[in-house]
Amino acid sequence: MPTPTPIQSIVITLIQCLLVVIFVFVVVPLTVFAERKVLGHLQQRLGSTRVASGHVGVTGWMNRGMWKWGRVPVLSYWRGIPGLVADVLKLILKEDILPDKADKFVFFIAPALSMVAAVVVFAAVSFVPGVFFIFPTWFPYVGGLPVSGGIADINVGLLWILGVASVGVYGIVLAGWASNSKYPLLGGLRSAAQMVSYEVPLAISLLAPVVLSASLNFGEMSARMAIGLPFWGLVPQILGFLIYLTCGFAETNRLPFDMPEAENELVAGFHTEYSGMKFGFFYLAEYINMTVVAALASGFFLGGPWLLPFGLQGLVNPFLPAFLSWFGEPHAIFFVVKIIFLLFTYIWVRGTIPRYRYDQVMSVAWKYLIPMALFNLLLAALVRCFAV
Amino acid sequence: MFKNEEMEINLGPQHPSTHGVLRVKLRLDGETITHCRPVIGYLHRGVEKICENQTFFQGQVWTDRMDYCSAVANNLGWAEANEKLFGITVPRRAQYIRTLLNEFNRLASHLIWLATHALDIGAMTVFLYAFREREDILDMNEAFCGSRLTTTAFRIGGLREDLPPGFEKLVKKFLAKFPTCIEEYENLLSENRIWKKRTIGVAKLSAEDAIAMGVTGPVLRAAGVPYDIRKAFPYAAYAEMDFEVPTRTEADTYARYLVRMAEMRQSARIIQQCMDGMPEGPVMAKLPKIMRAEVNEVYHATEAPKGEIGYYLVGEKGSGNPYRFHVRAPGFINLQSLPKMAEGGLIADIVAAIGTLDIVLGEIDR
Amino acid sequence: MTEPNLPGSPEVPEAPAGPYVYDYSASPQRQIVMPKTVPLPSLKTYLAEQEAAAVADEAKWQKMLADFEIAKVKAEAEGKDAPKPPVRPVPRKDDNDMKTPWPQEANDADLHRLQERLGDKVEEIFEQAGELTCQVSKDAILEALQLCRDDAALNYEMLADETATHYPVATNFTFSVVYHLTSISRRKRLRLRILIPEGFSPESACAVYPGANWMEREVYDMLGIRFVNHPDMTRILCPEDWEGYPLRKDYPVVGWGQRDIAFREDRGGMIERIALQKAGQLGINHKQPKAE
Repeated sequence: MPTPTPIQSIVITLIQCLLVVIFVFVVVPLTVFAERKVLGHLQQRLGSTRVASGHVGVTGWMNRGMWKWGRVPVLSYWRGIPGLVADVLKLILKEDILPDKADKFVFFIAPALSMVAAVVVFAAVSFVPGVFFIFPTWFPYVGGLPVSGGIADINVGLLWILGVASVGVYGIVLAGWASNSKYPLLGGLRSAAQMVSYEVPLAISLLAPVVLSASLNFGEMSARMAIGLPFWGLVPQILGFLIYLTCGFAETNRLPFDMPEAENELVAGFHTEYSGMKFGFFYLAEYINMTVVAALASGFFLGGPWLLPFGLQGLVNPFLPAFLSWFGEPHAIFFVVKIIFLLFTYIWVRGTIPRYRYDQVMSVAWKYLIPMALFNLLLAALVRCFAV
Repeated sequence: MFKNEEMEINLGPQHPSTHGVLRVKLRLDGETITHCRPVIGYLHRGVEKICENQTFFQGQVWTDRMDYCSAVANNLGWAEANEKLFGITVPRRAQYIRTLLNEFNRLASHLIWLATHALDIGAMTVFLYAFREREDILDMNEAFCGSRLTTTAFRIGGLREDLPPGFEKLVKKFLAKFPTCIEEYENLLSENRIWKKRTIGVAKLSAEDAIAMGVTGPVLRAAGVPYDIRKAFPYAAYAEMDFEVPTRTEADTYARYLVRMAEMRQSARIIQQCMDGMPEGPVMAKLPKIMRAEVNEVYHATEAPKGEIGYYLVGEKGSGNPYRFHVRAPGFINLQSLPKMAEGGLIADIVAAIGTLDIVLGEIDR
Repeated sequence: MTEPNLPGSPEVPEAPAGPYVYDYSASPQRQIVMPKTVPLPSLKTYLAEQEAAAVADEAKWQKMLADFEIAKVKAEAEGKDAPKPPVRPVPRKDDNDMKTPWPQEANDADLHRLQERLGDKVEEIFEQAGELTCQVSKDAILEALQLCRDDAALNYEMLADETATHYPVATNFTFSVVYHLTSISRRKRLRLRILIPEGFSPESACAVYPGANWMEREVYDMLGIRFVNHPDMTRILCPEDWEGYPLRKDYPVVGWGQRDIAFREDRGGMIERIALQKAGQLGINHKQPKAE
């Protein structure tokens, strides 16, 4: 395999970035659409069905035919799909309102901040260990060169992820403050307190994998967590996963912890005064954050690119017959499927349970999650000390 | 730098959880409410003035539009107040049908309360489940009187028409599935930890306070006072019905939730009894061609889903218009107690308090 | 409303004098129709009316008899057939389910108890349509409310409703304020009533029933009765700067010009169109161009 020159590796990295951004911008609108449909099914309705006209196009023609035939058209179910595009178009075309009394610069920079912080995390996420694919030889300039599974193979990847992700909170706080309005201010305050509180148990719950795998590199960690642990590694992994997921809900402002934008209390929270694409950035950032949290959860706890979660893969692999060996190897597809499952879980939870009150959210973090996370860390340390 | 400043904030008139155009001026210390003052009147249409300038019969369409979630209950109170003013005896079959429709309306109103209250607290799914059943009830309204929401269901002296053919089948179908539907809502909420955390001990209003403030309906019953006008001053056919008045003693949001859920079950029971014991006969009393009032004043109260709805009418000799038409709207009186419930709580609690009072601004502002 | 000048009509309207202004005060819905009677339910008035009616009836009958006698004498003198003797008219019997509830003597123990305790301050007690009414003097209302709530035999815990009525034609009072009390434990209702002249401020019921707060604010807002010792005597439904009191009988249905919105009276826009047409501002030029 040829080694790339420095310029070639820069080009490869740029292509990787492009791929990741494409991945993100494909997953996010699909999540938005899936949220409508899944919530619809949870609530015994169809979700969005009304974007495409019932009178134009092939579906419209078939729909009309079915109505005439006396049947309820099944096709109408998918007529919400153009909503994927319509949503984005709406956000882009809407007037971008700048409140008179707002702090103009901060008001402008806040959505960008949360957006950038959300996307940049993906730099350290490794989709698959080693080589992801090799450019075909006909590819100009970089033909025949390998592409690794992650953009940046940082040896302190976890620190990078935690550090950058926590910059995202500044976007929300600054948005709340810069709007110079009361509801956004309350939303910003809430988010400041909430996200700072939840970052503590989140980080501690992520320390357990660090201890178990003795690494901070995303790829190495997910590999060791998936196939390098003994049976005893299961317990801290499962407990850690539950704590991590709870904190992840809080970090991404999703129900039941959507305090900063609690619709029925603070109208829209920190982004009340935002419109157009600035609001769109917050919207995107929320969904990208969800994807990030899902990616980390699947990387550290659910076995990453391996099939089975919680380190079960390592226990099963020795007994795997040869004809099933494909299931014993890492594949990016497993990783993505896990992310999708976790995104579904987000929507599922949203459709099922009510919202906590603000003080209860804080007490959940400080009274329950942090002690539990510490206990989990202790468990992980014991496993590390005696069983590995 | 560490000045303890209070922030004044306006909840409404445009706010997702004030159920209309209610405005609440709040003073906040952090997120704790230190002062709360409801400001109403954004939907004031002068229903009383308009009704005074129309005939006795024309007033009914305005009662529909007061509490638009429970139009039938408003119609019932209005019709009975007028009948009391004129001294009209209503045929028994009409009484039964009125009772039947009124109970269906109570179900519809409670369902919409449950839906919006749960949505305020963040439980989205109950909202649509409750609307699913409400849809069936509105279909029955449509079958009976042609309109779904603003029903104008009754006439002074009885009903315009008898039940439509096939109505019994609709009722039977509904009654067969409704208990499982209630169980479905309760599965989602009653034992839900977050729901309990958000509602238990929130927005308390003791029985003494409630009586002093004139609060009626499920809010009063959740404080342990078994005051239900259907039992205390029976009207329509309620004297012949066998039902219980559910009460709780906790006087908080959760107790009100339980009371309303129990009330829904009782309503289903009353509907069943109405269908079983439906007498035959005419549905309209014999009335003179031209109805002129005599000098008389009546105050007639009925149990609307939200509480006591009272109509105060003054008749003028020889006139076809009411001289004075006043509505004692349950929401108007109940909303008075909002500061008592909300002060000292958090912003999230006032949302629960507004939800649990079950207000409709159409009747508060009239 | 006069007929509009249509293009074909021979009349030529005058040139517009200025911008078109619709005269709202002339609108039919702004006209005030004052009541002619004082429909204040009262046993005394009812009895007096009945007595007067009986006297009038008797007088009419006597007149009919006298007329008959005269006619008979006249007919005899002219040699014609004697006219038919008159028949005393009986009230027509109604074959319907409507039995007007008239005021009746007070039989209920509560009303007598009130009269016994308050003495002269009770002006009238009666029952009508199954409802108990007790009219007290306007200065004693707080005392009466206090008694109703605290007396063990009365025990009216809740103030269900409080409202007022405007009687512009009445001579010695202008408003009646009614309090509807409910006894939850005894399952009874009672109406207290006071009659007050214009400008008189009755005592607020808030001291006894805190729930009267908003009801009295509404009465103030709608009828302009100010209550003494009320914690917060401000308008509640109308804006603070609203002029007039809407539920008074001298207030027109559509208001006094605070809401000069054309569609309230002119939903189809026809009045405005006709007025514009008359003013010559509709774009149809009625004037014939002159030769020069």
